[in-house]
Amino acid sequence: MDEPVLYRETFTITGDDFEHGGDAAAAVKAAMKDLGLDPAIIRRLSIANFEAEMNVIMYADEARMDLVITPSAIRVVVADRGPGIADIDLAMQEGYSTATAEMRARGFGAGMGLPNIRRSTDSFEIESVPGTGTTLRYSVSLRPAGDG
Amino acid sequence: MDAAIHSVIREEARCVGCVACSQACPTKAIRVRRDLMSIDPATCIDCGECIRACRYDAVHARTSSPSVLKRFKYTVAVPSTTIYTQFGSDFTPAQVAAALVANGFDSFYDVSWMCEMVSRAVDAYLSECGGPWPKISVTCPAIIRLILIRYPDLVPHLIPVHTPRELAAKMARRKFAASLGMRPDEIGIFYITPCSAMMQSIVAPVGLLESNFDGAFSIAELYGPMLRTLKGGTHLLDDRFNPSGLAWAMVGGETAGMRNKNSLSVTGVHDVTSVFDTIEAGKFQNVDFIEAYICPDGCVSGQLLIEGRYAARRTLQRIQARLKGESAVAEEKVRSMFREHFFDMEGEIKAPVIEPMTETLQQAIRRRQEKHRLLDELPKKDCAACGAPDCTTFAEDILAGEAKLEDCVFVKLRALEDRQG
Repeated sequence: MDEPVLYRETFTITGDDFEHGGDAAAAVKAAMKDLGLDPAIIRRLSIANFEAEMNVIMYADEARMDLVITPSAIRVVVADRGPGIADIDLAMQEGYSTATAEMRARGFGAGMGLPNIRRSTDSFEIESVPGTGTTLRYSVSLRPAGDG
Repeated sequence: MDAAIHSVIREEARCVGCVACSQACPTKAIRVRRDLMSIDPATCIDCGECIRACRYDAVHARTSSPSVLKRFKYTVAVPSTTIYTQFGSDFTPAQVAAALVANGFDSFYDVSWMCEMVSRAVDAYLSECGGPWPKISVTCPAIIRLILIRYPDLVPHLIPVHTPRELAAKMARRKFAASLGMRPDEIGIFYITPCSAMMQSIVAPVGLLESNFDGAFSIAELYGPMLRTLKGGTHLLDDRFNPSGLAWAMVGGETAGMRNKNSLSVTGVHDVTSVFDTIEAGKFQNVDFIEAYICPDGCVSGQLLIEGRYAARRTLQRIQARLKGESAVAEEKVRSMFREHFFDMEGEIKAPVIEPMTETLQQAIRRRQEKHRLLDELPKKDCAACGAPDCTTFAEDILAGEAKLEDCVFVKLRALEDRQG
């Protein structure tokens, strides 16, 4: 069942806006720090958020990054308006990238973005409609099993 | 009344209550209430930006009192290598050192050789340690304080190789005690410092290790008397200086002396913060070593120097060019000293114990929502007239019970207009 939403804050990301690349991820990180969340959780989500944000800047037109806190997890939803991904399985493969030479010159396009998001989070879902856009949903659990 | 807060002495009679210092403070540690600045010791990193920003000479660096020299039978000055950049390139390091001794000390101990040795020791450490990467230099005490306060997760990145100045202090005490036949505690070892952060790391280390120095004096205070001595005639100390070690006066000097070139130099609190954010986010996997300074060009731009940093850099380059050919430190010897723990710190730099969160997540969320609501009411001009450096910090102060919404002149004006209209 849906858990109650304790907190929600939304950030916007604009495609091609390299000048502000990383700002949304930094704002989410500042919010999580302000809320006193566990540094390990902040670190894992920040890696995911940065990758997700740069994906939007490089490939999509615009997106909303939603930070949602429930009693059990920090969830992030990044929903973009953009070209979408034709073959998600291929995009999830490490090293696969459609980045242009220019993007690679900026240090992106190593084909590690989506795999990195999946690796640093506890749950990860991707949905994409070619020609319309892509939505990423990922989360990090607040109360890990055991005494972790 | 004058109050000492960390590295800073506040002169109450001179403070007019302007907000220049509070707006300059990178950690937002300063408030100006009732026309007087005050510093939160828990957030101050001793960077000295408030000293630079004050136009009324109300904020000074704290230094040792000259009377402390009388407590010792024999006194030794160990100057920062920046001192040689202060008097132009007409004076050699040996002349500058002699002028320093002539102004209150019995002798002098050079730090430039130790600088090159530490560069090599850091090489040895990097080749043996297992991470976490990148490792961060411990030369700048303000950087260490910044890490302790803002980036406690990065504490394991700090290199546990002692600084050249502290090792030089240890060696100087050993050397003079042996040659003079005195007890080590009869010899006073004093650092001659370019900045308030190093001063503080010696006079009253907060969160740092105890220092091997007995005190510290500012280069700015010694500058006038030393210049007079230099102009009065040339004395010479029979000391040889290490050109590669002298380079530590400036950013890049530390890494230039290393074999490991997979390093990065960063200066200034803004750029340092952005690099540390990147490390915290797990990037920078391909960098081994970071040399970071809070001052814009490294030590050569410390607040306790007189010569402008561009002129000082030029002087440094000329001095180094003249010293070329001096023999380098024997690498094998450093490696064996490293194995014998010569460079080890006597203790560990530890992150401050964070008090257990008294706030639940729900409370934190309410506080953040309340902060956003307050920010909607505030003008966002960041004028600092309320006493906090900006509107966001003001909102946080209100929530912490340290300020009232009515302290904002714009809020007060609006209330007045509402009442009249």
